[in-house]
Amino acid sequence: MSKFNKDTIIAIHNQETAEQPDYISVGMSACGIAAGAQEVYDVFAKQIKSRNFTIKLRKCGCAGMCYAEPLVEVKANGMPVVTYGRVTEEIAQLILEKHVANSILVNDCVVNIR
Amino acid sequence: MVKRIVLIKDTAATGPDTTRDFYNRFLDGIREHKLLDEIMVVRAADLGYYGHGLVVKIMPNNIVYHNVQNTDIERIIKSTIEKNQILDDLILNEKPKQIKVALRNCGLIDPENINDYIAHDGYKALSNVLLEFTPEKVIDELKKSGLRGRGGAGYPTWMKWKACRASRSNPKYIICNADEGDPGAYMDRSILEGDPYSIIEGMMIAAYAVGASKGYFYIRAEYPLAVQRIDEALTKCREVGLLGENILDSKFSFDIDIRLGAGAFVCGEETALMASIEGKRGTPHPRPPYPTGSGLWGQPTVINNVETLANVPYILCYGGDNFAKIGTNSSKGTKVFAVTGKIKNSGLVEVPMGIPLKEIIYDICGGTISGKDVKAVQTGGPSGGVIPNKNLDVLVDYDNLQKMGSIMGSGGMIVMDTDDCMVDIAKFYLGFCVEESCGKCAPCRIGGFQILQILNRITEGKGKIEDLATLKRIAVSMQKASLCGLGQNAPNPVVSTLNYFEEEYKEHIINKRCRAGKCVALLTYTIIQEKCKKCALCFTNCPVKAISGNRETGYKIDQSLCTKCGKCKEVCKFKAVSKE
Repeated sequence: MSKFNKDTIIAIHNQETAEQPDYISVGMSACGIAAGAQEVYDVFAKQIKSRNFTIKLRKCGCAGMCYAEPLVEVKANGMPVVTYGRVTEEIAQLILEKHVANSILVNDCVVNIR
Repeated sequence: MVKRIVLIKDTAATGPDTTRDFYNRFLDGIREHKLLDEIMVVRAADLGYYGHGLVVKIMPNNIVYHNVQNTDIERIIKSTIEKNQILDDLILNEKPKQIKVALRNCGLIDPENINDYIAHDGYKALSNVLLEFTPEKVIDELKKSGLRGRGGAGYPTWMKWKACRASRSNPKYIICNADEGDPGAYMDRSILEGDPYSIIEGMMIAAYAVGASKGYFYIRAEYPLAVQRIDEALTKCREVGLLGENILDSKFSFDIDIRLGAGAFVCGEETALMASIEGKRGTPHPRPPYPTGSGLWGQPTVINNVETLANVPYILCYGGDNFAKIGTNSSKGTKVFAVTGKIKNSGLVEVPMGIPLKEIIYDICGGTISGKDVKAVQTGGPSGGVIPNKNLDVLVDYDNLQKMGSIMGSGGMIVMDTDDCMVDIAKFYLGFCVEESCGKCAPCRIGGFQILQILNRITEGKGKIEDLATLKRIAVSMQKASLCGLGQNAPNPVVSTLNYFEEEYKEHIINKRCRAGKCVALLTYTIIQEKCKKCALCFTNCPVKAISGNRETGYKIDQSLCTKCGKCKEVCKFKAVSKE
């Protein structure tokens, strides 16, 4: 990769902020991983691939809500950004089936919405 | 097409959870009004409100109603949902209590992707600084912001930078102190793992301001993921020329290396930390000379904490004045606290300086798990002190906490309820400091051990009333004569618990009683004969056979055999075992 200068930084900033793709973001700090985030991430990765979802899967750091780890943030289908807490492999399945595929939020798991 | 999302959660602290019942009623209401296609009703697990009864949050309008009754459902549907009218008697107008500055990107960006960091205004501050600011202007901006070190002592960051800049000797060094060792504090780890690029950017700005050419991350080896993420971020920065020669086509050159701490608490102290980087034994040496004059390898060095450095790009990006708007007169900006212990929602909170401690404990973190009263809050880790329940109104900043006999420290906050024994807490922290004392100076090495011995005696019921005076005397000598912050502050938990909870110490010594039931040696389990139904459950479950008797005569605990494990009390169905 070539060397960055001020213009490249501005260009990357503009390009990255212009596109607002849908995403699933899994909190993958040490605290999240200890609570089972890696397993949850693997479920998403496998299912997205096998069922041809177009949604982007990414990792993020710790959002501070340690009591509700593993945390998964979902932005999909023009709905507000929803954070799910205490996500298990089963709940990860539900998030894909309900939220991502059918725009229905999963009950009893939402810890934040913005 | 769904137009609105309605979230429902019962936030009352007591009574059964009525979320499900209310959800069904609300759903019936929506059905009656034939709105099922437009409104999605969802039971939430948590909405960030506590003690507000039933809370209904309507998105995307972001309307929050609290203390909602079943009878309000009809009104909410008719006015708010159908006509967009807000019900003034139910609305909860609460400003968000948390402000994210140091944690601004944590949980938001992908820490392994530099482009994502740039998308969130990353390296904007650096490019402005390198191309448009003089180093003096950077320090001026820091001065305007009023940023003070977040590692514990609260020394103004700009003064450190200025002193280092004024030193004539070259080369100069920047060190990021990521040797986070306080029990119960992990905000630095969270930033290292969640937003590594912002710390790197902060270090680069610091280096430019003081004229340094080399930086070091001193990270404790117990944070393998943090080390990995920082390492990957540094490699990436070198790849794109954000570290190395002539960064962003300016004249500024800088590179950063990682050094791992081998797990000694004292290496978080700056002089010991530098010794450790130099490859020497990690023991502190007296100051002055301060590191800004003669630090790493005798060269001028700035040592800043992770959280401090994470604040720097924000200040240079959005202006020192904007940062200074947050907080109090003497303490600007925000502080991240790691709230742990007997708290309902443990985790990291970032609040503006000057917020009442009470709001952190009750409004943000939801009070204690058990629902019992908060007895005290320990701030500042093993170097800090306790703040008793009666002082929970204190406004949290550097100076106020100091007045209370505690310190801000790195931001650990351990909440204790009425089941915690203050002597036991003091003993725990002292034990930690004795273990971590490097042994170089006598006050810390011997004093700490002596205090711990006395505390042990007290918790075993062998304390004497004169011990209290001895404790205070040793504490003062340690505070005055120890070489570094570890020894000077090690007796703080004892001094502050003695100050606020002397009664409890006396109870242990005179009455041989521990009111919290923590000090095992002071407990006696007895069977209350009036309540005993002679079921023999305790008898069969006692692991050391200290209970004797039979189903006719009843049962008795032989105190000389009892190990106070509490099994009998646990299994008794009739509450016939008392613990005192």
